[in-house]
Amino acid sequence: MEKIISKIKAADKNELTLFSIAVAITIIMATISPSFLQGTNIRSMAFQFPEYGIMCYGMMICMISGGIDLSLVGIANLSGIVAAEIMLKMGSSNDSIFIAFIAAMITGAICGLFNGYLVGQLRIPAMLVTLSGGQLYTGLCVAITKGPALTGLSPAFQKIGNGLLFDFVPISLVIFIAVALIMDFILRYTIYGKQLGFMGTNHTASRYAGINNLNVTLKTYMLSGILAAVSGIVMISHYGSAKSDYGTSYTLLTLLIVVLGGVNTLGGKGKILGVSLSIIVLQLISSAFNILRFNSFVKTLVWGLLLIVIMVLRAILQSHNLKFWRRKSENKVS
Amino acid sequence: MGEVFLELNGIKKSFGGVKALKGVNLTVRKGEVHCLAGENGCGKSTLIKVISGVHNADEGEIYIDGQQYNNLKPIDAIKLGIQVIYQDFAVFPNLTVAENIAMNGALQKGKKLINWKETREIAINSMNQIGAHMDPDILVERLSVANKQMVAICRAILKDAKLIILDEPTTALTAKEVDKLFAIINKLKEKGIAIVIVTHKLEEIYKIADRLTILRNGANVATGDIKNFDRRTFIKYMTGRDLIDTNYRPCNDENEILRVENLTRNHAFNDVSFTLQKGDVLGITGLLGSGRSEIGDALFGIMPANSGKIFLHGKEIAIQNIDDAIGYKFAYVPEDRLTQGLFLECSIGDNIVVSSIKRYFKNFSLKYNDMVKSADSWIKNLNIVAPSSVPLVKTLSGGNQQKVVIAKWLNTDPDIIILNGPTVGVDIGAKADIHKILHQLAEKGVGIIVISDDLSELVQNCNKIIVMKEGTMQASLNCEDISETALSKMLSGETEGESKK
Amino acid sequence: MKKISAKENFTSNEMIVVYIIIALSFAIGSINSSFFSVGTIFDTSRAMLIMLIFALCEMVVIISGGIDVSFPAIASFSLYLTISLMNKYHINNVVFAFAFAGIIGLVWGLLNGLLIGKYKIPALIATLGTSSLVNGAILVYSNGKEISNIPSAVDVLSQKYLFSVASSTGGKTSMTVFIILPIVLCILIHWVLRHTMLGRKIYAIGGDTNAARIAGINVKRTQYFIYAATGFLIGIAGVSNSILMRNANPSNLMGSEMIVIAAVVIGGTRITGGHGSVIGTILGVLLLTIVSNNLIMIGIPSSLQTFTVGLIMVIGTSITSLKAKKIALSPKI
Repeated sequence: MEKIISKIKAADKNELTLFSIAVAITIIMATISPSFLQGTNIRSMAFQFPEYGIMCYGMMICMISGGIDLSLVGIANLSGIVAAEIMLKMGSSNDSIFIAFIAAMITGAICGLFNGYLVGQLRIPAMLVTLSGGQLYTGLCVAITKGPALTGLSPAFQKIGNGLLFDFVPISLVIFIAVALIMDFILRYTIYGKQLGFMGTNHTASRYAGINNLNVTLKTYMLSGILAAVSGIVMISHYGSAKSDYGTSYTLLTLLIVVLGGVNTLGGKGKILGVSLSIIVLQLISSAFNILRFNSFVKTLVWGLLLIVIMVLRAILQSHNLKFWRRKSENKVS
Repeated sequence: MGEVFLELNGIKKSFGGVKALKGVNLTVRKGEVHCLAGENGCGKSTLIKVISGVHNADEGEIYIDGQQYNNLKPIDAIKLGIQVIYQDFAVFPNLTVAENIAMNGALQKGKKLINWKETREIAINSMNQIGAHMDPDILVERLSVANKQMVAICRAILKDAKLIILDEPTTALTAKEVDKLFAIINKLKEKGIAIVIVTHKLEEIYKIADRLTILRNGANVATGDIKNFDRRTFIKYMTGRDLIDTNYRPCNDENEILRVENLTRNHAFNDVSFTLQKGDVLGITGLLGSGRSEIGDALFGIMPANSGKIFLHGKEIAIQNIDDAIGYKFAYVPEDRLTQGLFLECSIGDNIVVSSIKRYFKNFSLKYNDMVKSADSWIKNLNIVAPSSVPLVKTLSGGNQQKVVIAKWLNTDPDIIILNGPTVGVDIGAKADIHKILHQLAEKGVGIIVISDDLSELVQNCNKIIVMKEGTMQASLNCEDISETALSKMLSGETEGESKK
Repeated sequence: MKKISAKENFTSNEMIVVYIIIALSFAIGSINSSFFSVGTIFDTSRAMLIMLIFALCEMVVIISGGIDVSFPAIASFSLYLTISLMNKYHINNVVFAFAFAGIIGLVWGLLNGLLIGKYKIPALIATLGTSSLVNGAILVYSNGKEISNIPSAVDVLSQKYLFSVASSTGGKTSMTVFIILPIVLCILIHWVLRHTMLGRKIYAIGGDTNAARIAGINVKRTQYFIYAATGFLIGIAGVSNSILMRNANPSNLMGSEMIVIAAVVIGGTRITGGHGSVIGTILGVLLLTIVSNNLIMIGIPSSLQTFTVGLIMVIGTSITSLKAKKIALSPKI
């Protein structure tokens, strides 16, 4: 018991807040509509968030590196379309699923490397690179599909996004958890992960300390691209088809989730746990809206409002914090 | 020298219990150049902020042009003719020279429209007054640091300045540019403007100052005409200690660690050669722009040399980038620790392991326990004042921060350490600690190169010194044969040193 | 004016865009000779009308060191609400249409100004937030449906022309009266940026915000003004668009942020702030309009159009960023 209490005390304030919000929403929704806590609802929620949840980790690492990735949706769609094309051309055999998956990962990696090269080597601001890059990747999607969705994906493939493991857990949820655990490990226990944090905190000191900023940047955007590709696979499997304009609302949503999850918009700091809790909170809100019969338009409004409110609150808190530090630093003789 | 323009009596200022100024006096006359000198942390900056109205003194009187003023606000100080030119000039890089110079005046007058002809005329007028010749239509971002400073000065005198305070104005200037600046300061003198130069550079004070006030630990130590100060007294007042003869003299050892032959980098330095043997602490000095920093940059791969040879332990090596340098076990403690040396928002522990992180990757994951152990042991060995390796490094004092930077590199077990300005902004206690550490390392066989403009630091802690002048080695000396005063004279060009290889 | 060496004059950003436009025009014209006609000028002008207004506003924001991705949402909100209320309450008044749309835009602009100026939220994130908020709001209000009747008082404007010329196909092609809007705006904004203290303050803030504060510029107030004023203009652009299109659609302007920003950047405005000109922006918009409207003529199928525009955006913005870097690293005088 003591161990639990001390762990709670040591936990990040932000994560505790998110956890409490999640609990609060659950309790409120359960009282309004008891079906909220029913297995079917929980399962349906679990089917919905992996496809954008995985993308969030991509957005997160780009932000930690001091940049941003606004091309995630474009990469996801492109990877999905590449996979779909391969499967359809190969007659949707089971082998084709495997090859398609690999091809999607490669697509994501290439797009990510392209982004990373422009940001890391040519030093073009990440916002500009990924905004135009996203347009480029979407353009490729249109070029391949010529517009209409690619349908007719095999039932075996569709199981990824719609099927259950052991009749109990959605496969996509398992993929999501696996991704989250891997990303957490990468960020905390690998050399790359540590260097990412350093570079995002101070690019100059990072270079002087011997960190290869270009390598770290390339790896970051490439990894982000791969994560987008995984999202893409889950997404097209879930919908049963691939199109160039799926998930357009996910760009803002992933940004919102990552900001809410405690990632510093200027770079350097971010934890998987925070972002994961944030994903869950947003899924709960999303489902709450469904049950309350709010349509997707309302969601768009609320996401925007939430992002603004969180940033304003953070700004107010920070200025209080700053006043404290300024007083403290004036104590040091100048 | 005219009447008194500024008089400060008994100024006291504390920040939350820490006394920054303990009753400081200062008198500045019209048309005089008054240097305000002292080591880092002596209270110079706080005093300037009191004069310019940014801070208000807790006790004491301020008289400006005979009138007493209490609770001065920055806008009041400006109206009274007090202008401060800070180290970063606050100019607009994307606007022209003319616009930068005329902007503030236009803002003050509340103008709504711009008259480009008038703007140019105002700027040219101002530049003529001090003898600066710049193209008024060039964007300031294309200018060198010295010219940007010139723009800031032109802007300042437009506002009918009566007192101009320059804060460490020569930090980023080459010798020629310093001369130009001093010529301009003399012109300003002729107009009866009072000038206060905040500095710690001995050689320059002698060139330009009429009178001098030295502060130490927030209090006056000495004031008077510059002719009443000789170098030795000056140093004694600044540092509070006599020139101690604790000079570093290692035992003679023939083991060669590093040999550099004819190292050249275009537009930076030419034909530099030296040898570093076991036990040597080599100092490299010279005015800014002489190439002293650039040699360090070349050896660490930041700005590699174009030609010449480098031999490590007798074997020839090539250093083309930072990776190469680190691969050969070079380490570099940079000049600007806040932006180049430290991750302020990260913990002490993180800052210590950042360059040696690969060492802690065992069995497919990073071992945090080992990292904490390493950090704790360095905290102990280097006497870093911190409760543990957890607090953020930004909470530490300058001296302790510098020790963290050194610890970071020591943790990589380097063969050669290059330090650029290792004790700038470091208190006396930490300074002594750092010098001791360097000596111990040298004796163990680590090559130490100290790049510095602190002559007493060099004379007392190095056994060999290279003096750079405008890119070439002016002299290569053994510390047994040189005194601080002689070194100072050499730097300010009064005597030519003999080249000894 | 800026004294640049003769060589710099010929390789400056604006000139490069001019060369590309000329080259492109020749390429298109050689395949389709009807490209070289007055009709093309009219069509191109009409096509770039609204985008130019957006681009000018975006340029001012970017010069000041910020960025705004919420303008399509603000335009959509203003136009839809205006037309909808006019229909509902039978307000058939031209002045009302423009004034009301402008004021709505101004109010949302003030929100942006508040977030960016007062709370110092990074402009990209702040405007992404307002974009979603405003877009969501109008979608809720409209339920996603468009309005096809435009009040008659303003609808007639869509049929008013400045002048007409005989077209090569034998009919007539005309220049809509709305062209006055961007022309007036170009002149006005150029004058403000070049000849008023307000304009110089905008450049100063974009060049070095801290230095601007020290110099006594009220940065917050200027930022409020920038976002509010551009918001006003965006509202007007929105309602103009709906008049020209003869319908009020709450979502078809969405997604145009990227191409507008690309046009602004290609025209020489640095994304980092402090630099930019009206001429450059006009050229950038012209280039992208010619490209998007004439791809088919060069033989690029419609399915490749998004890709091509995206490619141009990537290349164009890369070139301008690299140029800016080159200047920063060039030897100092």
